[in-house]
Order: sequence, then C-alpha cells, then structure tokens
Amino acid sequence: MSILSPGRIRDARLEPNLAVECDYAIVGSGAGGSVAAAVLADAGARVMLVEEGGHFTRRDFNMQEAWAYDALYQDHGNRATEDLSIVILQGRTVGGGTTVNWTSSFRTPDRTLALWAARHGLSGLDAAALAPHFAAVEARLSIREGDPDDVNANNRKLLEGARKLGWNPELIRRSVKGCARLGYCGMGCPLDAKQTAALTYIPDALAAGAHLFTNARAKLIETDRGRAKGVVCDVTVANSPRPKRFVVYARQGVLLAGGAINTPALLLRSKIVNASQALGQRTFLHPTVPLVSFYDEPIEAFYGAPQSVACHHFADRGDRVGYFLETAPVHPMLSAVAFSGFGDAHRRTMERLAHAQATIALLIDGHHDDPGGRVRADPDDRIRIDYPLSPALREAAVDAIKNMARLQLAAGAREVVTLHEDPLVIRSEADLAQVDGAAFGPNRHTLFSAHQMGGAAMGSDRATSVVDARGRHHELENLWVVDGSIFPTSLGVNPQLSIYAHARLFATEIARRH
Amino acid sequence: MTVSRRGFLKKGLVGGAILAGGGVLALMAAPGKRTRSPHGKLAVLSPYEYAIFSAAAARLVPGDGAAAWPSAEALQLGDELDALLARLHPAAARDFKRLLHVFESAVTGLTSSGTPLPFTRCSPAQQDRRLEAWRHARVELLRSGYQAMKRLAHALYYSSPKIYERVGYPGPPVVPQGPA
Repeated sequence: MSILSPGRIRDARLEPNLAVECDYAIVGSGAGGSVAAAVLADAGARVMLVEEGGHFTRRDFNMQEAWAYDALYQDHGNRATEDLSIVILQGRTVGGGTTVNWTSSFRTPDRTLALWAARHGLSGLDAAALAPHFAAVEARLSIREGDPDDVNANNRKLLEGARKLGWNPELIRRSVKGCARLGYCGMGCPLDAKQTAALTYIPDALAAGAHLFTNARAKLIETDRGRAKGVVCDVTVANSPRPKRFVVYARQGVLLAGGAINTPALLLRSKIVNASQALGQRTFLHPTVPLVSFYDEPIEAFYGAPQSVACHHFADRGDRVGYFLETAPVHPMLSAVAFSGFGDAHRRTMERLAHAQATIALLIDGHHDDPGGRVRADPDDRIRIDYPLSPALREAAVDAIKNMARLQLAAGAREVVTLHEDPLVIRSEADLAQVDGAAFGPNRHTLFSAHQMGGAAMGSDRATSVVDARGRHHELENLWVVDGSIFPTSLGVNPQLSIYAHARLFATEIARRH
Repeated sequence: MTVSRRGFLKKGLVGGAILAGGGVLALMAAPGKRTRSPHGKLAVLSPYEYAIFSAAAARLVPGDGAAAWPSAEALQLGDELDALLARLHPAAARDFKRLLHVFESAVTGLTSSGTPLPFTRCSPAQQDRRLEAWRHARVELLRSGYQAMKRLAHALYYSSPKIYERVGYPGPPVVPQGPA
C-alpha cells in the first residue's frame, strides 16, 4: 500500500519545473500505462506518467465529430499509412484509446497464444499466467457477459444475418457501467458510463501517489551505461516557436505505453535499437474492410451501443488469412470519409445514411507469412507508417466482402454497396461474382484500422524480438514495453483488454522487485 | 520528370521529391485563378493554395444539383483546412501544400486528364474529369493525392451540424449533465 500523498493530473505547459524525479516514468496513459501506474504506485513506488494528449472529461465530450477527432485522436484524426491507403484511428488523450474505443472486450484467444509459443519462440506466457490479470481488469472495468439489450439495429443485422447462415455470432462483453447506449463511445462518453482508464486505473494510480503530466510528448529516452535514465518530453507552449523541454528522471525504470506506433517510434528516435532489427517491424493493424448495406426501414446506426455483436466464423481459414466481423457506427463524418466518390454521387449515398448498416471485417494479420507494416521515425520527429497490402491480405479482403454481402442480404438488405472506388451494387448472390473482378488495392477500396499492434514484439530470441515475455527490453534491463507493441502478431480480437492484462502482469512482476 | 517510375512509386503521398518536382512544374505553368478569398488571416496556406483547395472542395462536396445543400464556400472549408494544417506536423502541412500545387499544375492537368490548364481555370466539368483521373490513376501517388483532398474536404464538410438534417441525422441526443 502506498504511503505517498495523493497525486494529481498536471498540465506540463503550466509546470514550473523543468525536470522531475520519480522511481518509474511511464509514457502514455492508455490501457497499458494506466494499469501499470496503478500497480506500481500501489506497491509504494513513486510513479509519474507523461501523456502527449490533453485531459478531457465528460463535460467536454459534446458528441460532435468535428471536435472529437481533432481533440482526442492522433494527428487530429488524420493518422494514416504513408500512402493513405489505411486510415488509422488511434487515441491521443488522457486514457488513450480507452477514452475513444467502442468498449468491446475480449481475452487474448488461446489459438493466438499458442501461435506465439509455436512460431515466435515465446515461452512462459500462457492463458494460465494471464488469467488472474484478465479477471482483475474485467472486475475493475465492469466487464460482464454480453447484454442482448445492447444490440441496436445495426448490430441486429449482423446477429440475424450470421444466425441465418449458421455462422455462430456472439454477444460482445463491454466495459460499461450504467450505459445509456447513446452511440458516441468513439467521441468520449458524456455520461462516464464507459469505464475508461481515465475513470479507473488512472484515479487508482493518483490515489496511490502517482502524478500524470498532460500535453507532454515523449521525445527521447535518456540512457546511461545500459540503463534507461529518464524521458525527455517536448511541451508545446502557445506563442512560442520552440517546444519547452521537460524531463522525467526515473531512478528505477521506464515503462513505455504510447501505443503500437508511437512506442516503436520513440525507441527508434532514441536509437535504442537492438541487434534483431525487429524494432518498428511487424506492425499489425487488423486492416478493416467496411461494407455498407441499405434497408427499407431506418437503421439509425449512429445511435445505440456501437459494437455488441461479433462473428468469428472466418477467423481460422487454415492457410489463408482469417478475419472476424463486427459493426461500425455511421456518424456523418466517418461515413463521408469512408464512402467513395465525390460530388453528387457521394451525396446520394450520404442521403441514405439513416438506412445504412455497416458491417466490418477485421483481417487477422501476422498469423501467416504476411509481414505486416513498418514504423519509421524521421529526424524531424515525424512518424511514418508503411503497410503494403500483401496478396494474402487482398484475398482475405475480397473473401470478406463477399461473405459480408451474403450476411447483409440474409439480414434483409435491399442492396449492398461496396466501398471500392467504383462501387459495386449487390442485390443477390449472382452479383457477387463482380467482387472477384473489381480492382482491390491501395486507395482502390476504403480501409481503416482501429487496432494497432506489434513493432516491439515479445520473444525469447533476441534475434527476432525486442522485449522478453514480461515486456522487459532485451538490452536495457530497466526498460519495459507495456502496450500493444509487444504482440508478435495481431490478436484476432479487439486488443484493449489484452493490453490491460499483459501490462498488469508485467507491472506486478516489476513491483515485486521494488 | 526526373524521378524514375520505381522511385516515384516508392514515395508516399508526402514523399518529397516528386511533389517538389511537381512544385517546379506548377511554377512553370500558366497562372491560376484566385476566385475564392479567405475569410480571415491564413496561418499556413497562401491565398493561392487556399483558392486551389477551395476550388477542389467545391467539386468534392455536393454540387450544383443539390441547391438545398450548403456550398463548400458557405462552410468556409478553405479556412477550416488552414486551421487544421496549422495543428498538424509542419512537414505534413508542407507536403499537403506541395500536393495542391501539383494538382493545380497545367502540366499535370495535361498528363492526367488531357486539360492543359491550371485546375482553378478549368470549367466544372473539366475539374471533375481531373478529380476522376486522379481518383482512378494507375500511379499510386496520384490516387493518394486525390484521397488526401477528398477525405479532408468530406471530413470538414460532413462534420458540420449544418448538413446533419440533409443526411437524415438528427444529431447527438441531449444529455442531462449532473454535477461533475
């Protein structure tokens, strides 16, 4: 139990100190950083978190896309792969991705853990080791069995279509308490019903004496004789041409939880590159293929719990890349960006928004020979993400479009409209043959990612991984990675809960040393 | 173009060399038209760049066939874009400005859609043809460039509450705010 007086959230822009000192510095306040901070602070360590985003609460969450994506997402909602072929939705605020995610909560699938053990040389990390940590996080985030009352019309189409086809849909467990099913999880919950890190593990950490500095962007990790010494941050100050430097020195160690794009980039900028060359490689995105169908009756997919139904029927396709099906809300801005075309043709699609249902297929990348993407850090601090669409991924995407169309037709869709640049209209099984002939590739079909994984993978072999099975860096013994970067492949499920559980396991073992 | 096709394809949207090359071409081309003027002081865009984006946005959002819809001009998309670019990484803003010059260029107009005019001097039909040509281009970089302009124009336009009713979206519900 901590004996420190409670900490607080402090705006680094207003911080009079140029440097502060603690036992553990943690970069990032999302799923991984928050739970690690709570565990270490509770063990009596002096913990300081730095968060590049701002601190927003339910009073700020106005459910307007124009505000939310700008304020709460990386690159003000404009993060994408280098060629713009995949739009990347990723949080950048206190609570990180947990503040903006759609609440879907899954444990790491056993088959994914088995794959890591068999093909990525990861020993000592299995379902049994993780189970108590999953249970603890599920309790803290109020994750309970899926609730049929959560299912809105958008998700009901997925449920009904999959049931008719015998594809075994399931209700999704959600991290909510007192949810009113407004439909705005992605813009911050105005009711504090979503149990984000900002409402759970961050308050726990602060109560145990941790401090959280906002608007502080980790620029470099300082090292000294094989040890991480601290985190150098840039703090952008209004009316100043250059950012202010703010340093958090760490006596015991540094934990990285900036997410699976920013963490590899931070390590690359800091030139903490190990011999394996694995750093920044094998970045996985669950490349996500949306398919929109239209119904005679209103669907109003902008309202209601965004995700309550999933279908993993196609997750294991043998030697072909698998995928799983969920839904996406259809608020005007996100939909307008996703719908292809422009001008009046685009307008005519937008005019049917209230009748649109959006199914998404998330491709399970990294489980086969597909190498994923790569994160690069430019000398000017810009982050670049390359993600080539391998033939195996393209095959899976085309297969997914056809199966999603079958599902939507089974659910009673009047028509299905693909998001190819030349949209296909599908009204019956006979129309599906067109999908095979349609051009599919970068910027020929809408793709996005809400799940970022890999880039600083766990592994027992230093030649092919960056950290060990407890998140510790292979070269720097007091540096840990506790976010989605550690996953050797994509998960095949929404990653938030897995990030929490892995981070809690790692932090618990770090705390034992303290 | 002095960049090899292979090098060309390897560059991203904001890869630098090709867009810088395009920038030179843009300077060699006939002057464009600045029919649209900013509503306030610009932070990142030049008045010319503002006019190029505004002209493209006017075609990307609902056009003349939809009288009840606000125009790109009415929603001040050029000004909104300028404010957004000011918040992005300076290198990203710089690359988007380069893209606008390449898109405007009469030379790329000739090679992409057969119209040897700056985009801002094209008729609406010619402008649509140029956008279509970039949208479907075999060269990945042009498709990326189209998507950059398309997504930004659509994001800025369709996030405005002024279009909610038009798309059948009643807007966010009213949420009672209890004590914080």
